[in-house]
Amino acid sequence: MKLLRIILAELRGMFAADLGLSLAVLALVGLLALALDQGLAPLWGGALLLAGVLAILLASVWRGARRLGRRRG
Amino acid sequence: MVSWSVAAPAVTAAFLASLVEVVEAFTIVLAVGTLRGWKPALLGSAAGLALLAVLVLALGPLLGEIPLEILQLVIGVLLLLFGLGWLRKAVLRASGYIALHDETAIFAAESAALTAAAKRQQARLDWLAGLTAFKAVVLEGVEVAFIVVAVGAGRGLLLPAGLGALAACLVVLAAGLLLRRPLARVPENSLKFGVGVMLTAFGVFWTGEGLGIPWPGADLALLVFALIVLAVALGAAAILRQRPVDGAKP
Repeated sequence: MKLLRIILAELRGMFAADLGLSLAVLALVGLLALALDQGLAPLWGGALLLAGVLAILLASVWRGARRLGRRRG
Repeated sequence: MVSWSVAAPAVTAAFLASLVEVVEAFTIVLAVGTLRGWKPALLGSAAGLALLAVLVLALGPLLGEIPLEILQLVIGVLLLLFGLGWLRKAVLRASGYIALHDETAIFAAESAALTAAAKRQQARLDWLAGLTAFKAVVLEGVEVAFIVVAVGAGRGLLLPAGLGALAACLVVLAAGLLLRRPLARVPENSLKFGVGVMLTAFGVFWTGEGLGIPWPGADLALLVFALIVLAVALGAAAILRQRPVDGAKP
C-alpha cells in the first residue's frame, strides 16, 4: 500500500505539480473544444492552442519565480 | 513500414527523456550497490523492472481499444501537463531560481541516508537497500513508460519509441559500468530543458490532432512548435536572469 501511495504521489507530481498550470491547461483545452464545436476555424483553434500554452508557461514561470526568489547570483 | 522522418521525433524524444530518467535511477542504484553490495541493488532493480513490465503488458493492449482521436487528445493533454511542468522547472533552473540538478549531490545524499539507516537497523539493511533501488527504478521507470507511450502511441510508433528508451538504458548502463561513479558530466539540466521543449511541442501537436485541427505541414508542424517553444523558454530564462522578478526573495 505504501508503494502504491508513492507511485500515485509520483504520478500526481508528473501531471499536477503546479495546480494552477494544470487547471489552466485543462481550461484552455476545454474552451477550445467548445469553440471548435461552435464553428471556430480549426487553424484559428490551433493558433490559440499554441499561444495559450505559451502564455500558461510564461505565467507559471513568473509565478514560480516570484514564489521562489533567486538562489544564485 | 514507418519512415525515419516520421519516427525520428518520437525516437529522439523518447531517447533523451529516458536518458535523463535512467541517469537519475542509476545514481541511486549505484549508491545502493556501492554501500551495501550489488546483490540488494540488482535484486531491487530487477524487481522494479519486473513490476514495470507487468504494468506495461497489462495496460498496453488497452491502448488499442481506445479510438485514435480520443487517445491523441488524452495523451496530448497529459503531455502538455507533464511537458509544461518539466519546462517550467527547467526555465527556473536556467535562470537561477531553482538549484541545478546535481547527480554527485544526489549520490552523496542517498549514501548518507543509507549510512544513517545502517546505524539504526543493521538487520534490515539489505532489505532497505533493495527497496531503495526498487523505488528508484519504479518511479523513474513510470516516467519512461509514460513518455514512450505518449510520444509513440498517437501514430503507432510505440516500438520505435520503446527502442529509443531502451537505447538510453543501454548507453547509461555502459557508461556506468565503465565509470562506476555517478554520471555527473551528463548535461542533465540542458537535456531537461530540451526534453521539456519536445514534450510540450508533442503535447500541442497531439492535443490539436485530437481536437480535429489539421496542422499545416503535417508532421513538420511539430518541428515548428518545438522551435517556437524553445525560443519562448530561452527568452523567459534570459529575461529572468537579467531582471529578477519584483517581490522575489533575495
